[in-house]
Amino acid sequence: MNTNTALVNDTEDLPGDFAIWIFILAEMLVFGVMFIVYAFARSNQIEVFNASQLTLSRAMGTLNTIILITSSYFVVRAVSAIKSGNSRQSAHWLLATIFLGGMFVAVKLWEFSQKYSAGITLETNDFYMFYLTLTFFHLMHVLMGMIILACIVYKLKNGDYSAQEHFGVETGASFWHMVDLLWIVLFPLIYIIR
Amino acid sequence: MNTQLNRFATLIWLALVILTIGTFLIGEEVSTGKTVMLSVLAIALIKGQLIANYFMGLRHVSWLWRGIILGYFVVVGGMIAIAYLN
Repeated sequence: MNTNTALVNDTEDLPGDFAIWIFILAEMLVFGVMFIVYAFARSNQIEVFNASQLTLSRAMGTLNTIILITSSYFVVRAVSAIKSGNSRQSAHWLLATIFLGGMFVAVKLWEFSQKYSAGITLETNDFYMFYLTLTFFHLMHVLMGMIILACIVYKLKNGDYSAQEHFGVETGASFWHMVDLLWIVLFPLIYIIR
Repeated sequence: MNTQLNRFATLIWLALVILTIGTFLIGEEVSTGKTVMLSVLAIALIKGQLIANYFMGLRHVSWLWRGIILGYFVVVGGMIAIAYLN
């Protein structure tokens, strides 16, 4: 049973399980605090942060943003497909999403390897400490999202979801959108604004 | 009806990509400045609203949830702006 009925009884229910929304808010809160801490830490070392930020590839950051946005769009299509009762098509959209998630991971690992080759670690300076920590933490969420979506694909292929019962698909979709939402702030903060 | 919704989602995706490229170009063409910083944060807020309302489907649910996401972007973005303006 959906437990959020009382909260939104005059409109539609939240998509997916109510618990995922509590989790989403908790995750956004944690990231939000880290974003603000980054901004205030920067204000004490503006030159160090600006110089270090210029060593990042804005093109790769942009590419990863477009990858995540596109993957979120694919998730929308997956939810739309299962609502139409087309579980096969829904699974295909989710597999495409997982593929894009893999691309995001590959780009990020390439970026990390470039920094590692240049001798940059968490201890190099505060900017790199934030850059590596925030993006690695976010990367873990991307990986978690890929695992969740893979489980949903497995269940779709088993015929566990239908046009009437697709709660799990919406729950996984909401988590994936959250990963995208966090990157929407992370990308300009770390790569662009200086 | 689903075809219409899918087309609408495609338009939202296109808008998000255009806004992302806009952010990239701002980062490439303009180095620093308060206007740049505020513009980039405003773009992030718009993108966040598009994703929350149209991809996550919050436009159909209680205003409370839309308000929480909007409030998040306003508060976090506002705090970032304050830190950068200091």
